[in-house]
Amino acid sequence: MSRHQYVRNLDYQDAMDEFEGFSEEEDELSPEDRALMNQGVADVQAALGVEASKVTVAQIEESLWHYYYDIDKTVTYLTSKFINPRPKATKPAPQQPNGKSVTSTIDFAPAGLSLELDLHPNWATKCLGLTDDAIPAPRARPSLSHFFRDMPWGNIPKHRETTFIPPPAAPGGLLGGSGAPPKMSKLQALAAARKKKAEEKNAVNDKVEQARMGVKELSVKEPLADKANLSTAGPFSKRLKTSESAAQDRVAPTFATQPTQPEPAQPVEVAKAPEDELPLAKAQPSAFAQSLFGSSSNTRKSEAPRDELPDIQAQHFAPPKIDFPFCVGKAPKPTPTSIELGPAFELSKRKRDDSEGYETTVVLYPNLPQFVRDNFAQPSPDDIVLAAQAQAKGKAGQKTTAQPKKKGTQSTEAVTAGVNELKIDDAPLPKSRNLDVLSEFEKSKSKKTASFVVVGHVDAGKSTMMGRLLLDLKVVDQRTVDRLRKEAETIGKSSFALAWVLDQRSEERSRGVTIDVATNRFETEHTAFTILDAPGHQDFIPNMIAGASQADFAILVIDASTGAFESGLKGQTREHSLLIRSMGVSRVIVAVNKLDMVAWSQERFNEIKDQMSGFLSSANFQHKNIAFVPVSGLQGDNLVRRSSDPAASWYTGPTLVEELENSEPNARALASPLRMTISEVYRTMQSPVTVSGRIDAGSLQMGDAILIQPSGEKAYVKSILADDAPVDWAVAGQNVVLHLSHVDPAHVRVADIICDPAKPIPRADTFTLKALAFDFLMPMQVDVHRGRLHAAGRIEAIPALLDKVTGSVIKKKPKIVKPATVARIVVKLDGLVPLEAGQRVVLRSGGQTVAAGLLE
Amino acid sequence: MYLKTGVTPSASGSAYLEIETSAKPGVSGMKLSCSVHGPRALPRSAPFSPHVVLSTHVKYAPFATTQRRGYLRDPSERDLGIHLEAALRGAIIADRWPKSGVDIIISIVEGDQDRETSRSQGDEVWDMMNALSGCITVAAAALADAGIDCVDTVAGGVAALVQAAGDDSKPSIVVDPIPSEHEKILAACCIAYLPTRDEVTNLWFRGDLPASELELYTHMVEKGILASRNANRVLIDCLRETVE
Repeated sequence: MSRHQYVRNLDYQDAMDEFEGFSEEEDELSPEDRALMNQGVADVQAALGVEASKVTVAQIEESLWHYYYDIDKTVTYLTSKFINPRPKATKPAPQQPNGKSVTSTIDFAPAGLSLELDLHPNWATKCLGLTDDAIPAPRARPSLSHFFRDMPWGNIPKHRETTFIPPPAAPGGLLGGSGAPPKMSKLQALAAARKKKAEEKNAVNDKVEQARMGVKELSVKEPLADKANLSTAGPFSKRLKTSESAAQDRVAPTFATQPTQPEPAQPVEVAKAPEDELPLAKAQPSAFAQSLFGSSSNTRKSEAPRDELPDIQAQHFAPPKIDFPFCVGKAPKPTPTSIELGPAFELSKRKRDDSEGYETTVVLYPNLPQFVRDNFAQPSPDDIVLAAQAQAKGKAGQKTTAQPKKKGTQSTEAVTAGVNELKIDDAPLPKSRNLDVLSEFEKSKSKKTASFVVVGHVDAGKSTMMGRLLLDLKVVDQRTVDRLRKEAETIGKSSFALAWVLDQRSEERSRGVTIDVATNRFETEHTAFTILDAPGHQDFIPNMIAGASQADFAILVIDASTGAFESGLKGQTREHSLLIRSMGVSRVIVAVNKLDMVAWSQERFNEIKDQMSGFLSSANFQHKNIAFVPVSGLQGDNLVRRSSDPAASWYTGPTLVEELENSEPNARALASPLRMTISEVYRTMQSPVTVSGRIDAGSLQMGDAILIQPSGEKAYVKSILADDAPVDWAVAGQNVVLHLSHVDPAHVRVADIICDPAKPIPRADTFTLKALAFDFLMPMQVDVHRGRLHAAGRIEAIPALLDKVTGSVIKKKPKIVKPATVARIVVKLDGLVPLEAGQRVVLRSGGQTVAAGLLE
Repeated sequence: MYLKTGVTPSASGSAYLEIETSAKPGVSGMKLSCSVHGPRALPRSAPFSPHVVLSTHVKYAPFATTQRRGYLRDPSERDLGIHLEAALRGAIIADRWPKSGVDIIISIVEGDQDRETSRSQGDEVWDMMNALSGCITVAAAALADAGIDCVDTVAGGVAALVQAAGDDSKPSIVVDPIPSEHEKILAACCIAYLPTRDEVTNLWFRGDLPASELELYTHMVEKGILASRNANRVLIDCLRETVE
């Protein structure tokens, strides 16, 4: 027996006894102790009273000894141990501290391990006896209702619930020291090494035992009982035996759980509860299972070759038979020797018959009719295809291996080129100069910048007037205008030549109307102006709103010719003036255009002036912020130069440009966080993502990181163009072009907002606004316009009707809002939109502007 | 009930279980196939384990049920796997194979019963109980086939408290219920039971019963044990047949 086994079987109790060198403790008691003990026994018996009969004097003395003659503790112990609890425990279990009693029940697992070799036949018969039984006989057990007596079934009372306290984590390693991971002490290392050694030894031992087992199995002279046992173990363990597992010798079907416990002696019927007397619920295999496993034979498919072993052996000597059916019924009954053959032998047998081609003659489904089998005699279509593919692959493989040898250098070049192309945008981040933009702006003392939007009814002559203005200010030279005039004459619209300076799209030119906002700029002595030429047609109001949102002030162009003014006042003159006011434009210059058509009639001018003053002041424009200039856009009178027409000599006020210069631009929100609405996105040489727009608030400089909302993508400013010239920084109010880097163009769209990553503009789909109604408002679908942005939404609620002047609540939850009243309304959008309090939005519905207001 | 071991030659152990229900001619019952791989060494990356690491996978074949199943395991299949693992863990002598793992893979070739009815009843968990009991039995057979040491053969059984048609009738406990046969299932329990040890390794109880009726609970568990004992007899019979 190996040392390992020896250690396992060592009786520690005996060893301890020998070492201690004394046997009985009772004899060692001194007289004083004895007296104390007697006294204690008497006391305990008195304390126990009637129950005293349930415990022996020896038990009392035993416990007294342990509790150092403490009477109370002894009584408690005895009560809990022997008197009150489970009846099982009342049997006096000898409690000697050094008693020689051997535990009568052997723990199963180690017993199985240690006894396996020595007691093999004995154990085996036990196992066999069990498997021979119809059912593993269950122990007689108390009724289940008793077992579940105290089971609360989910309704656990509060007092029984436990609180889990996490066990304190063992520190491990050596004590003290730094916060470094625990180090292994030398002692630990030694222990680990020793353990490893022991394991190795163990493995060697196991191998030896395994070999012995193998010899035992193969020996023919084994007693018959042992053979039968092995045959039961065989099929279960045979697969494992082929593997090199250290645990091999333990492989055995162990259905019996307590080998040491004697089998119930009484017959099975007695142990069985009456409910077990049901018929064995066993069925024949279904058609599916039959086709899966062949005929409904009891023998396993995998066993079949083994059953035929004698036949095969015979065939080695006899001429081989061709027909060797798989059908198991024909197979001879296996002899005991064939069962005992080890797996290795069996494997070699199988291999041999592979090599000799018996596999091909095996009939897989003998039950099937012949014609069905014929159908499957040929290779299946799948097999044909697979074979062809395999062949093709082989050829292709040859080719690919041949190619690189021929033109190795070329292919490597191609690959390097490809890799170079693959390089993604790894350009370094644009360097920031870390300027203090605001102080730079103070220092620069540049000209004032102002932008104005030109609005008015369709065909009032807005674009023409601006074209003339640019021509007179020498921003556009005469040659360009001449060329445009020539082009315009060819399509019969010579009067549109000046408008074409701004209307550059082919669609705008062919239709003769402005469609999108056109931007241009000019400078006077003190100010740099940006023109935003808005479309007048009612179909393009959204574009006009986009233009108006960028403007500091507005030029309202009015057609003075007969009938045109009146129709305009009902049309877009009115709508535009309401819109620009609600977009926050407070200064408006009314250019009464086409006065040359009415021969510079002063009455007409005054009439328009009166009507417009009344209208504009009703639209909340302050009187001092309204100026009227009689002009002729086509001729250029009173635009830059004074009218030379004597009929117009009655007008002595400032020209349009002088009026523009008099206008103070709005205060810029320079210090607030950056906000810039993108009005255009396009590709340029400098950057695939170039955006243009007006900085609404804040400032930016080259190299700044910016955030694009609503996509939430980060980007960097590669360079800035202001007025077509590269600059290092830009501030609110400027129209700039930004070249961005490190951003995908997919994330940058028109009407997105560029903002400061530290203080991003929030995205929302619901907002409250204080709105001036132009039409009846009720919960309805609306289009929300804010600058370039327009999104579909609906009015969710109208919480209050407000006073126009003071802003106090007049009425709560009105059903409807009448035109020209102010109300607080809640609008819900379909998607997330960057919105911020203080922004101005316009609500339109069905092509009409229904309300405009301020976000709250 | 038809059980056969050693159906998958490549696995270390395998079994095939077929349970026929007499419910309808069109419904042929439940077909399960189980393969056991191992015990085999755990991957190098796995942490040390002093006993065998059991991993169970239960998968319905896509065509197993009326409602076509996906190829990925859905939560109910995962749930079955967890229950199965709990049931088998109590039966396997796990500390005989330190540092090794056993994979138990069950594919439900044909899911029991017509799921339409169970869906209309609003809960398909009753079907899952039947499936689980089948899974436990077939896995026990496959484990035995693989030669993995167990304390006993574990088998699954289901008992259910059913109410027949008509509201006034008294609910009764049936063994191995077929959801489509009963008007309403009030509660059910699936039990994995070791007969020789008289131990329950897994108990899955589901239903809404008043907590006061303790008798009912114990009766159901008792019936479940009866069912699993019946399954165990078939299992033992089959294993013995294989051995002979």
